[in-house]
Amino acid sequence: MQEKVQTILVDVLHIPALQVRDSLAMKEVETWDSMRHMELVASIEQTFGIELTMDEIVSMISVGDIKRVLRGRGLEG
Amino acid sequence: MELRNKKVIVTGGVSGLGRSMVELFLSKGAAVTVFDLNAQGLDQLAQTHPTVVGFQCDLSDYDQVAATTARFHERFGAADVLVNNAGIIYSAPLVCLSPAGIVRHDVAMWRKVLDADLSSVFYTTLCVIEKMIATRTRGVVVNISSVSAAGNVGQSAYSAAKAGVNALTATWAKELGMMGIRVAAVAPGYSETGSTKSALSEPVLKEIVKRVPLRRLGKPEEIAQAVVAVVENDFFTGKVFEVDGGLVV
Repeated sequence: MQEKVQTILVDVLHIPALQVRDSLAMKEVETWDSMRHMELVASIEQTFGIELTMDEIVSMISVGDIKRVLRGRGLEG
Repeated sequence: MELRNKKVIVTGGVSGLGRSMVELFLSKGAAVTVFDLNAQGLDQLAQTHPTVVGFQCDLSDYDQVAATTARFHERFGAADVLVNNAGIIYSAPLVCLSPAGIVRHDVAMWRKVLDADLSSVFYTTLCVIEKMIATRTRGVVVNISSVSAAGNVGQSAYSAAKAGVNALTATWAKELGMMGIRVAAVAPGYSETGSTKSALSEPVLKEIVKRVPLRRLGKPEEIAQAVVAVVENDFFTGKVFEVDGGLVV
């Protein structure tokens, strides 16, 4: 799961893979605006075959939060 | 999208093209709500079609639109389909020569047409889409445009408003597609509606019909069929479906 999340973040936010860490927050990344957040949601949903709830979407404000939401959906690794 | 039991909002559904859309959606088993300024017309519509729910609303007034959509959401939850059909037709050249001299296009009418035909689409979609996204509803928005969007003599305000509607359609399709929401437009040509007949004189309409390859005006039910086709086709988004008898080719 972690590798796939990293790939999604790199592709959607156009950031280097090395920059992706759990503490990386939306407010720190210039390209992580509200539009890109929707793109992230769409990519995550497509990649993992899930549909996120509105509560989950608004809680995903850092890489760690994204992974926490996905673990909550039973996605490990 | 399969329309049975889907919640459909049609703005301006009391008469004209909107009325035909309402009736076609009903025949497909959809639950139809109409937002319209005409309170008396809403009552009459409810008498003919008791399952239709009507909300009186001036769609060019953002506060009214916000309040009306809030009432809709409270009662029914998120809509599945929004058809932005309400609008007005106004015809006047930018300037015209008269025995009294040069007459300018009425600025108040410019604002009124833009409010009724463009801002109303923005306001209603804004309020309806928010709930669709919040509930992850993969809905559809159909904007009623016009072939006049390409620029039509004597219709500065109407043409500009409809060109704006086309731009909103493309923008929203790009923005909302990733959420599974489709946005498209249907652009009727000249149709057999009261608004067309009141906006254009009989001789002008006759001249227009001569330019239509099919040599007739469109029927409201033909425009409604196009709207339903757009809703039912899950791969159609961001485009303008022109239904004009071949007028623009």
